[in-house]
Amino acid sequence: MRLDSALFMGVFVVWLALALLYATVPMFAMPGYAAVWGWGSLIFLALAALIAGAARRGRKRRRAAPGGSD
Amino acid sequence: MSALSSGLGSLPATDKRLLETCFGAALAALALGIAFGAATAFARAGFIELGPLSGYRAMTSHAVNVFFYWLYFAQAGLLLAFAAVYTAPQRGIGWRTLAWTGVALMLAGFLASLYAVAAGLPLLYDAPPELAREPSPAVAAFYAGYLALGAGLFCVAAAGVATAVRPLAAGELAEWPVVTFASAAWAGLLMVSAIAAVNAFFPAARWAFGLGPMPAEHSTGWHILFHNLHYLPLMATVLVWYVLVEALTGVKSIFGARFSKIVFASYLVFVPPTSLYHMFLEPNLAEAVRVIGSLLSLFISVPTVIVFLVIVASLEVNARSHGAQGLFGWIRMLPWANPVMSAIGMAVVNLALGGALAFVLIQEKLAALLSDTFFVPGYFHFLTVGTVTLTFLAALAYVQPALTGRPLWRPQMLRWLPHLATAGLALFGGAGVAAGYLGAPRRVLDVAYDGAAPAAWAVLMSIVGAGGALMAAALAAYLVALFTGLLPGRARARAPASALPELHWGGTVATAQRAWTGPLAVLVLVGLMVAFTVLAFEMMKALPLGASGGAGH
Repeated sequence: MRLDSALFMGVFVVWLALALLYATVPMFAMPGYAAVWGWGSLIFLALAALIAGAARRGRKRRRAAPGGSD
Repeated sequence: MSALSSGLGSLPATDKRLLETCFGAALAALALGIAFGAATAFARAGFIELGPLSGYRAMTSHAVNVFFYWLYFAQAGLLLAFAAVYTAPQRGIGWRTLAWTGVALMLAGFLASLYAVAAGLPLLYDAPPELAREPSPAVAAFYAGYLALGAGLFCVAAAGVATAVRPLAAGELAEWPVVTFASAAWAGLLMVSAIAAVNAFFPAARWAFGLGPMPAEHSTGWHILFHNLHYLPLMATVLVWYVLVEALTGVKSIFGARFSKIVFASYLVFVPPTSLYHMFLEPNLAEAVRVIGSLLSLFISVPTVIVFLVIVASLEVNARSHGAQGLFGWIRMLPWANPVMSAIGMAVVNLALGGALAFVLIQEKLAALLSDTFFVPGYFHFLTVGTVTLTFLAALAYVQPALTGRPLWRPQMLRWLPHLATAGLALFGGAGVAAGYLGAPRRVLDVAYDGAAPAAWAVLMSIVGAGGALMAAALAAYLVALFTGLLPGRARARAPASALPELHWGGTVATAQRAWTGPLAVLVLVGLMVAFTVLAFEMMKALPLGASGGAGH
């Protein structure tokens, strides 16, 4: 699951960079673009965190199960 | 039986009802879209007469029903189905109440939009507030409908993510399957698009309800949403191909799950940077941004082409290991008698044509010349009807028997419908693109201009009308088939899609095999892009028009 989480983190980084570009560089100044890609980046950050957290909980449960291993 | 068929069959009854509701609503929206689309095409062709109000109402109804409600009800159902089936089908859909709430909001949006188009001024699907001129209940319903659709999609997408995450957190899975990962990525983009819908339509809704001023930046908000609305159905389409090809042939990607996940994630990476080309008609856009946007737009099809290559190479290698001969002999081995396979095949052909034509439009110098011509509906129907709609109908044709236990209605006839739709599309799209190259405007019901228009426009519009009739007939037959399967009243007997011709290749390919078809297809695609661009220049240079003026711009 590390790959899944890392891929969504990558999406977060690209979207955040673009949101900052649209928010701060005068030539690209488009507040609407900055808002949508900025909020979107947070959604993918949340997805990455959610997956990483769920995978961690799942590993613990499997280890805790009788005869369980990861 | 495929994992998709058996997984759908083992879903809890309430989830089956939820999916049937989504697909039923999708088909109802498609039925309205087809009826109004045919009326619009016939009016343009001069086959019927529609006054301005009725004509634009038909045009608006067609676009709103198809582009918003058909495509997004279908995506809502498919997203939930894939997330549940490929993660843990016995568990069913996660956060079920939220999923039902989402579908209810989408249905409310659908009804509000129907009322708005029937009762108010037809605003076309982008609904610029300046077209409405002043607030009214119908205008308010138009924007409220879109906002309800966006809110509903957000809820459905959140339920899709919950469906995928719960088994992981419970320790039932150590790793997500590729389809689960792609569904989560798709859900994420749906949520972003819901935010984009609020960004685009909330200011206009406030104005329409009399709570704020008319928004000055509606078109920018629309462009961002519109970009996502291009990408979402395409991302869904290639995921559906990935799922259905495995279900029909047993073939998984020869490049492995890791590579497939990277490719699906790349869709999300390519979405924002390629969005600038929608702004090419904005007069205030800096020249440097236009150049950068033009260069970035070239990357728009990269993820789609890679998924296509993965699927085609995987099929070709498996077919060769099962005895396929010759460069294209493997294609004949695919189960073309299955209507699902024939729809996917035609969808690929139409994507190549629509994709190549799209690259003509998104070139910065050509965008201004072609954007308001009939080139636009001419090319995008290859994508919306020929690619996305045929793919979603193929998915519904596969899903319906597994979901309801009722056999697919007349599969021997259904296998030919994609060919009929594509023939209609060839007439509609070919004549439409040629008319666009010759300057025929879009969003105009009567192109005769009291006899002042070029004679070719009327001839080409007649061909557009004839093509529209063929497309409408093919899609209407699909609707009969799928509604017949979804409506209650017929005895339920287990009749999975596997009753239709399928292959069971799968397994590991023992020896190295050549797979040239994919790369050759990409070469053909590039050739088509160049050919359509050259054709555009040549036909527009031949127009009997001239311009003169000062150095200003």
